[in-house]
Amino acid sequence: MNRAFIAALESIYPADRLLTREVELLPYESDALTAFSAVPGAVVLPVNEAEIIDTVRLCHEQAVPFVARGSGTSLSGGSLPIPDGLTIGLNRLNRIKKLDPEQRIAVVEPGVINLAITEAAQPYGLYYAPDPSSQSICTIGGNIAFNSGGAHCLKYGMTSNHVLGMKVVLADGALTQFGGESIEGVGIGPDLIGLFVGSEGLFGIALEITVRLMPQPELYRTVLAAYDDLGRAGDAVSMVVASGLLPGAMEIMDRLAIKAAEASVQAGYPDAEALLIVELEGEAPQVEAEFDQLRGIIDESGAFEVRVANDEEERTRIWKGRKGAFSAVGRLSPDYIVQDGVVPRSRLGEALVEISALKEKYQLEVANVFHAGDGNLHPLILYDGREDGALEKAEALAGEILALCIRLGGSITGEHGIGMEKRDYLPAMFSEEEIDIMQALRLAIDPKEIANRGKMFPGGEAPALAQHGMHPLERAGVISRE
Amino acid sequence: MTVSAPASVAELQALVRDSERIHAIGNGSKTALHSGLNGATHADLTKLSGIIEYQPAEYTVTVRAGTPVRELSAALREQGQYLPCDPLLPESATIGGTVAGNLSGSRRYRYGGVRDFILGAAVVDGLGRAFRVGGKVVKNSAGFDLSKFLVGSLGAYAIMTELTFKVFPDVPRFRSLAFDYERLEDALAAIYFINQNIFELDALDLKPLENSWQLLTRLAGFDETLPQRLERFSAAVMSHTSLLKIAELDDSVTLWDPLADLRGAHLVKVALSPKQVPDFDRRITAAQRRYGVGGNVAWVATENLSQVDDALQACSLTGLCLRGAVESAVIGAPVENVLASRVKQVLDPHGKLV
Ligand SMILES: Cc1cc2nc3c(=O)[nH]c(=O)nc-3n(C[C@H](O)[C@H](O)[C@H](O)COP(=O)(O)OP(=O)(O)OC[C@H]3O[C@@H](n4cnc5c(N)ncnc54)[C@H](O)[C@@H]3O)c2cc1C
Repeated sequence: MNRAFIAALESIYPADRLLTREVELLPYESDALTAFSAVPGAVVLPVNEAEIIDTVRLCHEQAVPFVARGSGTSLSGGSLPIPDGLTIGLNRLNRIKKLDPEQRIAVVEPGVINLAITEAAQPYGLYYAPDPSSQSICTIGGNIAFNSGGAHCLKYGMTSNHVLGMKVVLADGALTQFGGESIEGVGIGPDLIGLFVGSEGLFGIALEITVRLMPQPELYRTVLAAYDDLGRAGDAVSMVVASGLLPGAMEIMDRLAIKAAEASVQAGYPDAEALLIVELEGEAPQVEAEFDQLRGIIDESGAFEVRVANDEEERTRIWKGRKGAFSAVGRLSPDYIVQDGVVPRSRLGEALVEISALKEKYQLEVANVFHAGDGNLHPLILYDGREDGALEKAEALAGEILALCIRLGGSITGEHGIGMEKRDYLPAMFSEEEIDIMQALRLAIDPKEIANRGKMFPGGEAPALAQHGMHPLERAGVISRE
Repeated sequence: MTVSAPASVAELQALVRDSERIHAIGNGSKTALHSGLNGATHADLTKLSGIIEYQPAEYTVTVRAGTPVRELSAALREQGQYLPCDPLLPESATIGGTVAGNLSGSRRYRYGGVRDFILGAAVVDGLGRAFRVGGKVVKNSAGFDLSKFLVGSLGAYAIMTELTFKVFPDVPRFRSLAFDYERLEDALAAIYFINQNIFELDALDLKPLENSWQLLTRLAGFDETLPQRLERFSAAVMSHTSLLKIAELDDSVTLWDPLADLRGAHLVKVALSPKQVPDFDRRITAAQRRYGVGGNVAWVATENLSQVDDALQACSLTGLCLRGAVESAVIGAPVENVLASRVKQVLDPHGKLV
């Protein structure tokens, strides 16, 4: 990294917040897509907005690429460093600046942990709705970059639907603000929040975010149904949808995922080919009535066993297995790749049949745990990186699953983003002209292509491939993934 | 003024290429959005109409932008579904105009506004290019989400030809209650109380009566659960807020049309937060008004637009004028934004779309 640039950083940061020694840089080498790693030229740890703005302006001036980093839990390589570029670590901007329960809003800094908002809102009977299973460590800034979702996004949407206002510094140093405290968000004029959320760190850095809070539901009713056939669980989802019910969550796990969850968290799940979890939430009288209806549907859906959570403890137990399933599957295998393609819900069955055929073709194990309510698959491809060619084989299988999602009319990513991992698949979803327009937009905002260079758009030099596998925090059992 | 009504995307592309300045119009239900354009060619989109694909099991629907909201709503109703963003002017607007203006009715309170239900779009931009933005499934995070950007864009960045929405099952029954308060502050305190409570209202509006303020509330759900829910809700509101009286009202479409009682040459939409309501309201007491979506939107009808403009400026708020002839539909604090202008540079570098 250029000496003059480092010197300029030294005028912004004290020595303990400007990291340049190799041992200091090591922890920033990868995100949760551990197959990739790259060494940044330097890492800075700003503690306020002004430092971020100065840093971005400096990068723009000197054409030094940068990547913003929250907690580094991206599963698509979004926060992977740019070789010899600057990594801007935002974890220290973790203040909740304002919490207004009367208007049901919070104003937060970008490094605030997702779950911390809910914790702060809880005393007022409120919570922050989007619930990625990494919510105990991922940041709002990272959630914004990917429009992150979770198991409970069917009813109230993903991150974008919960952001009302933002202050951002664009990649060329311009400072701007949009939206505010109204639930309408931007309200008058184009919805800039909608554009910025999901832009994968390519437009600039979010400095301050106003989010909406929701009242905690009075009652949850959770049911777990076991099937001896995966397709039947999928059909049950269609039956629920056709009935006119709108559950807060609908999730499916297949045999391998169940087995793994059982082995690791002892959720007490039945021995089945597939498990379906449906959860209703809302005002108690209404939920009870809906639950009667749901019971009827599930009873008719061919489930061989149905369990109902009668209290919060039983509910937690049902979810524990589901939320821990991915890490659990990860423990079965030295390495794995997780995809998050989307298919139209009515084609879920078809997609699952094809995935199981692909499994045979590649002779690899694939576990399925997914958001059935919105067709968002999370196939987990297991392989052993120590075997020659195993990674390549797993990646080829992953690629076929993505192609399948597109063929069925879906998307290559529902919530993890394109990042580094899927950039070569972008052209499978968008035409050349559409990608050109996105690229032109990027250039209009970031003429030097310094913000998260090398991500989202196809091409560019790929950094070193290492191993897929668990995030270090997952290995330690601190977090789990969906 | 030239009006042209393209019957296909290709015709619209040609029209954009051949025009110097062009203005998209649906049914023209929001007159103020179509005035003051100094001779721009009007692209009448009503021929680009009809439902392209509706899959109730997917909760998605794709329609041409010129489709009347009425037609879309009827098709959804047949399957027991609805568009939860509750398009304003359900009898006269087109769906494209609803997105371009970002105009939702009172039921938007329950699940969200236009931005929360748009999934994707096909557009023609200022260079005459036809392309797609967003996706067609309920969840998609690939690429920049320009479809949400179109919400509120007033036709100035690209002309929509096709739109995909997420839809939800509708609820079978409604009951509506009105709570009257002496002062605006009391009514707002009731909103704050409701905001921190477990009640899931379908809609929550606020309007001035002669000497009091009325909070309109609506519950939706199964027939058999509504009496109990209504009772719990009204008891809670009665014991926690200082109200004058409570009454059950006939639940009707008119009751929940935020514009139903508003008379005046001009009609303005304002996005604000509940806590901005008092300051704004005391500046526009001469106007007819209603606050929708729990005090997050103001609908103001007036003969005196400059008074509303002044009030907006003083409160640093922006308004969108929907009715009457005006020079600029956007009034109050300016909305110019550097990010928006970058998008304009790319999609409409010659400034054709107005
Ligand atoms: C175990 C596990 C479970 C997971 N479960 C889910 C899940 O259920 N649902 C889901 O959607 N995702 C899930 N993820 C993925 C990941 O947690 C999310 O993508 C999350 O939003 C990333 O947050 P982060 O703070 O770690 O961001 P990082 O990984 O640090 O960064 C992600 C991207 O955000 C950008 N960025 C960070 N901060 C800002 C900012 N302030 N402004 C602009 N851009 C910024 C970065 O440049 C990068 O491109 C999971 C990951 C793991 C490891």
